[in-house]
Amino acid sequence: MKNIPMEKYTAGFGLSLVVTSLLNAVILIVKEKNDSVMSAMKAALGHHWTTHGAIVIIVFLLLGFIFSGMKIETKLDSGKMLKYIIWAVIISCVIISGFFIPNLKFTGTMKY
Amino acid sequence: MFIQGVMMTHVALGVLGIMFAVALFVDVLNVNKGNIERLKKLSLAVAVLIVLAYLIGGYWYVVYYGHDRDIIKAGQWPWAHNFFMEVKEHIFFAMLLLSMYLPIVVYGNVPLTEKPKRSLVLGVSALIVLFGLLMEGAGGIISKGVTMGLIGR
Repeated sequence: MKNIPMEKYTAGFGLSLVVTSLLNAVILIVKEKNDSVMSAMKAALGHHWTTHGAIVIIVFLLLGFIFSGMKIETKLDSGKMLKYIIWAVIISCVIISGFFIPNLKFTGTMKY
Repeated sequence: MFIQGVMMTHVALGVLGIMFAVALFVDVLNVNKGNIERLKKLSLAVAVLIVLAYLIGGYWYVVYYGHDRDIIKAGQWPWAHNFFMEVKEHIFFAMLLLSMYLPIVVYGNVPLTEKPKRSLVLGVSALIVLFGLLMEGAGGIISKGVTMGLIGR
């Protein structure tokens, strides 16, 4: 693809999306493996998933504005950004699904 | 009835978000001066619908899901919760972020005259559609998990 300069918010929030997608998977592993983190997340907003969501959204917005002010649009282009986003969400999904794969035990018989 | 209404609203908003993302995808393939404003509105609509689906679905999950979860886990399809709900509730955040990013890309890059910029919008909207369909499928399995739990009683 031809190298066309990016708009600053597209670049900033795109990179933030990449980082936050991966962070989402990391938070999951940490809270599931560490009881004190899980307890702290439950205590913070009443439910670990609520706290998880709040962290992800706040980090996405915060990093988006920070990266947008760092002139990263001069170092990236739309083609590269799309590749980074696709890989970040794929890696994140594989980590999340992989973590719960051991729970995928089908029962042998079904009662109707 | 209120609980079912909340759940159906969550599902309906998600489906509408997916359909609007498909409409945006097709509109970008045929981008011209006449559909720029519609592109902007569609991108905003996708973000609003998915954020609302998150808020309403999140409310249902935190307040009401515990009862359904107990039925699923005691039933014949415990993996409907142990795998599909666990994966759904966490992968959903990627879809949420993609939906929030979509209007930023569209508003910052219209009129989308260059192919790489169009590809970025197409890629993001395609991922939203893909994730949306995964969410709907997982939701169906979780719902069936409750039925299977009740059948076994």
